[in-house]
Amino acid sequence: MSTVTIRIPMPLRNYTNGADEVKVQAATVGEALQFLGANHDGILSRVLSPEGELRQFVNVFVGSQNVRALGGLATPLAEGQVISIIPAVAGGATRARDVRLMQLKSVIPEVTPGEALAMQAGGAALVDVREQDEISQGSPPGAMRLGRGYLELRIEDAVPDFDRPVVTLCNGGVRSLFAAEDLRRLGYRKVFSMAGGFSRWKNEGLPIEIPPRLDAPTRERYSRHLLMPEVGEAGQMRLMQSRVLLIGAGGLGSPAAYYLAAAGVGTLGVVDHDVVDRSNLQRQILHTDARVGTSKVSSARQTLEALNPAVKVVGYEAHLESRNVEEIFSGFDLVVDGSDNFPTRYLVNDACVKLGLPNVHGSVYRFEGQVTVFWPKYSRQRGPCYRCLYPEPPPAEFAPSCAEAGVLGVLPGVIGLLQATEAVKILLGIGEPLVGRLLYFDGLRGAFTELALDRDPKCRYCGDNARFPGYVDYERFCANVAA
Amino acid sequence: MATLQLSGELKARIENLVRTGYPHETCGLLIGRQANGTVSVTEALAARNLNRERARDRFELDPQAFLDADRHARDTGQEVVGIWHSHPDHPARPSEIDRSLAWPGWSYVILSVSRDGIQDFRSWRLAGNRFEEEVIAP
Ligand SMILES: [Zn+2]
Ligand SMILES: [Zn+2]
Repeated sequence: MSTVTIRIPMPLRNYTNGADEVKVQAATVGEALQFLGANHDGILSRVLSPEGELRQFVNVFVGSQNVRALGGLATPLAEGQVISIIPAVAGGATRARDVRLMQLKSVIPEVTPGEALAMQAGGAALVDVREQDEISQGSPPGAMRLGRGYLELRIEDAVPDFDRPVVTLCNGGVRSLFAAEDLRRLGYRKVFSMAGGFSRWKNEGLPIEIPPRLDAPTRERYSRHLLMPEVGEAGQMRLMQSRVLLIGAGGLGSPAAYYLAAAGVGTLGVVDHDVVDRSNLQRQILHTDARVGTSKVSSARQTLEALNPAVKVVGYEAHLESRNVEEIFSGFDLVVDGSDNFPTRYLVNDACVKLGLPNVHGSVYRFEGQVTVFWPKYSRQRGPCYRCLYPEPPPAEFAPSCAEAGVLGVLPGVIGLLQATEAVKILLGIGEPLVGRLLYFDGLRGAFTELALDRDPKCRYCGDNARFPGYVDYERFCANVAA
Repeated sequence: MATLQLSGELKARIENLVRTGYPHETCGLLIGRQANGTVSVTEALAARNLNRERARDRFELDPQAFLDADRHARDTGQEVVGIWHSHPDHPARPSEIDRSLAWPGWSYVILSVSRDGIQDFRSWRLAGNRFEEEVIAP
């Protein structure tokens, strides 16, 4: 035991009744501080952490030596030594960033991770603005992972309702403030930032999911998609999870299916009851000379799987009829109609209207073609269905005979790929689909014309008070139906 | 409101240290006596800024300098009564960082300095959670 003097700095003297020195008996620095604390309530917690270690912002000297350089709190004391408690003196100018953050915090309401979770359950959009490599370590389940860089480009597709509450989150709660401000500027009225970010979310034990990531060969295959922010990894994964049904593996269905498979659409359904005919090969590029006489569905599957083995091809070797149309359509996200006959077009239309599916419609005739999207359920714009334009099929004698109608072989390529383009846009939720618009292509003139298509509010299938009147199997006008 | 008594001579000395140190933050200690809401400064010392990586916007006063100043002050019946530091190209107001690291009972003299010289010279004192400005009198 030695008697030593502890020098108290001015900031701590309110604990010692103003005394600038306290004499204690102790063998070590730690003991001396404990003694000081026992006699002067509150002072110890300013010097030692709850774990009993020297606080970061305090230095203790014995004589002229810092105890951190000696034996720490175990440093032995000799009679008459002087212990000095020295408050660390530090600070700094606030940078512009800090000023900005304080301003942001004053205008953007912050919520805790727990509150954010509750808000999400109540319908709020939880938007994760972190980078892909951060998100791959985990993200709140159901969060929209839109990234920070392209947030403004993606948010409107993800959250079309400006009154829907949006909670932004990043890793620490700073980037999310900036993101929240951007969203407010875009017109979102209820924007919150999650304080503490994902690290606090994780620390509080809230649910986490590891979002699936593309593996290296997949990233390489779709690298040109990944380079575009409108697609990106999330968009590519969406395509890979998408299911598109092609009506017909003919002139329109061939190029459409070929490119949709190349684009990575995960499941391609193909409805075709026909076999490959030599006269098909002038335009139906899925098929080959060697496969003449074999089923179009199996021929299509061979070609599509050879191009992209990851694509699942589901074949339906059947006529589309009222008894099977819903069974076949259910589970698909979108239908590409490449049929060339009225009974099928009406069935496709009616089933799509009933099931709320987008119907990407195309047709070709000689040197011309047209494409549009029938999708009365489209939330951003109310367009027509096929029956709004043609409530009933024409009588058989006015219908062009498909067997006799010629078509320039490349023409279905143009129209089928316009259909594929519409399909990809709709699956990704980007751009403006051809809803309420018909794109007409005149191959000989080399000209596109856009026509507005109006919906019929009294349409029996999609009109304002329409109740589904049922499917109709119209009489087939010609036997060979694939375009 | 507390008053900081600082002679023109000491003020000029601090200003000179701050100008010379620009664009880095410079810091030091004030020695004097404190009684009845008035702080009389008798000496202004310079100290080394230990924060080298961010010397433009952070300072960390060398504890050894503090120890020496404290000893010197006590030997002459005085004490360390405050800190001075500069804010290069920023206002002479305590920053959020200053506030979070501040101690009660001291005067915090802050100088705003730019390439063109001293812009502002003010003093602050922690009152609870926030800083209040002090009057500087010669
Ligand atoms: Zn400062
Ligand atoms: Zn309709």
